[in-house]
Amino acid sequence: MGASRVVIVRAPGLWTSSSGCADPSAVTNMFRRGFALLTGEKSDRQALSTVFRPDDRVGIKVNTLGGKVLTTGPDVSLPLAAWLAANGLQEQNLIVWDRTNRELREAGYRLSSGRGGPRVFGTDAEGAGYAPELVAHLSVGSLFSRIQTDLVTASVSLAVLKDHGLAGVTAGMKNYFGAIHNPNKYHDSRCDPFVAEVFDAPPVKPKHRVSILDALVVQYHRGPSFHPQWAEPFGGLIFSLDPVAADTVGREKIERLRAAKGLPSLAEEGREPAYLATAERMGLGRADPGGIEIIEERLP
Amino acid sequence: MKRRRFLRDAAGAGLALGSGLASLSAAPPLPGRDSDLSRVEAKYYRKLPDREIECLLCPRLCRLGDRERGYCGVRENVGGTYITLVYGKVCSFNVDPIEKKPFFHFLPGTPALSVATVGCNVNCKFCQNWEISQVRPEQVAHRDMSPEAVARAAAEVRYPSIAYTYTEPTVFIEYMMDTAAAARKRNVRSVVVTGGHINPEPLRDLLEAVDAVKVDLKGFTQDFYTKYVRGELRPVLDAIRAVGRSPAWLEIVYLVIPTLNDREALIRKMAGWVRDEVGTDVPVHFSRFMPMYLLKNLPPTPVSTLERAREAALDEGLKFVYVGNVPGHPAENTFCPGCGQTVIERAGYRVRETHIEKGRCDKCGETIAGVWT
Repeated sequence: MGASRVVIVRAPGLWTSSSGCADPSAVTNMFRRGFALLTGEKSDRQALSTVFRPDDRVGIKVNTLGGKVLTTGPDVSLPLAAWLAANGLQEQNLIVWDRTNRELREAGYRLSSGRGGPRVFGTDAEGAGYAPELVAHLSVGSLFSRIQTDLVTASVSLAVLKDHGLAGVTAGMKNYFGAIHNPNKYHDSRCDPFVAEVFDAPPVKPKHRVSILDALVVQYHRGPSFHPQWAEPFGGLIFSLDPVAADTVGREKIERLRAAKGLPSLAEEGREPAYLATAERMGLGRADPGGIEIIEERLP
Repeated sequence: MKRRRFLRDAAGAGLALGSGLASLSAAPPLPGRDSDLSRVEAKYYRKLPDREIECLLCPRLCRLGDRERGYCGVRENVGGTYITLVYGKVCSFNVDPIEKKPFFHFLPGTPALSVATVGCNVNCKFCQNWEISQVRPEQVAHRDMSPEAVARAAAEVRYPSIAYTYTEPTVFIEYMMDTAAAARKRNVRSVVVTGGHINPEPLRDLLEAVDAVKVDLKGFTQDFYTKYVRGELRPVLDAIRAVGRSPAWLEIVYLVIPTLNDREALIRKMAGWVRDEVGTDVPVHFSRFMPMYLLKNLPPTPVSTLERAREAALDEGLKFVYVGNVPGHPAENTFCPGCGQTVIERAGYRVRETHIEKGRCDKCGETIAGVWT
């Protein structure tokens, strides 16, 4: 078995001076390069065809817990949706979603039922909700969002990369805590083994296709809440088909930023993200850096 | 308010009534109610730098950044101020016989107006009410009821008590204490049905406000609490001890789960602890487990196991030991520890006959511990 590939695409100059948001064309270029390097395919359409089927209904699970600032904002997710739609997927089959409409709105989204763009709504939207059947999987017992169980056939975890006071790191795998009705019950013992087990659950693992970590701004300390003094404008997106490898590389980025700022490592703070090793043991991907191939590219 | 109208109003509000909590599981939780949560500042927390807070309500001591919720899911840090999202947000109310809680030595044969908001600070794999205890407030329908409204409703129909029950009342302690205070002014008493996973200071305050507490002692080893409750045993024992030493009436329920907490030696150890720490007058109910929620791979507790547990506890010196969740079982009755006469005869949750006069057996005069009027 070959190494798990993780692609880091950075574009430090992607912010527009007027709004402070990421420039959509710059973000689209990052997705284009990320998928090309990830799949080895030359055209956008070919790259996407290795990840999705044309008739896939794709859920783009964002993380909007951090409000307006530290969030997977529309300046990142909507260019992704537009690029997917331009390269073989049906626009009406794309859903950008999170737990609640309120959190999406607070993060700057305009809720949409899908006319002229992807659908954007939360699990609490009318017609969505949680699937009624309790999913009991390993030590997890949860109701899953109907968006994840019923409405999509393929899933992208588009999560903000953040330090996390309990888990150590929150990234692509923990993003699926936003797909269950009771995430507050799974923060014991550094969220381990729960992050891995929620990901491993039937509504998630078979549908998950790719992790994309939004590392435009990285909260490297005192997360997951936003603290500007410990937030770095990294200007990157991290891609991997291996969810564990993606989070492992995300964790390394956080550790490097912490070291550069003179902060103790997560392990020294007793917050090493134990879920990564658990996920590797469960066969969900690679947490051993020796098994991960990192390709890094910097765009102008 | 007439009882019929009271119940009709409750049903009209779409709330869980009677034993019909299961109906909530048949339909997806109601969406779109997140703007309708309470924003009352919580008690029992301390502010930390950078808008963080530490919750001091229960032994978890959740440390939360801005916009984060505690393990209970109903208390949230909003910009460095801790708020309760469920103050006055009643997801379930009902009129139950007080025996259903169960309280067997506190106003037997009377109805208790029973109230709950969503939320719980543990996650028992055998939870009977997980559809309301293990959810967040925006996921379940609720009705706004002020403390005064609850107290008034109970007083107007002459219910002698209000029970805070179904979920874990600790997580809505502010609402519970304000309701208990309003009820006391109207001579309505308050009883709490809790897992006892609470810190000493809030418990101390709570015990000044309420009249009786039933604690679910879910096991008697930390290993059991870790694996099946996701909580700590020691604080629960501390809470039982504190209730036992307070003026509030105490009863204990021990849910007997086949193979997990049903060893006779363990039962004897638990009963001995109760005897030594809170006394032989404290009623202990050995309740029958039924498979549900995340523990469906075990059978219901054999009645013979419950009977052996009862015998062991009696043998350890406890005076009032019951078998629960087995309607019609003779050990639902209360027997005089002096002469052995049946002093309260029950059929399910119904009291059929009482032979207690002024707190004493009407045959031999033995004191029967409890709150009878």
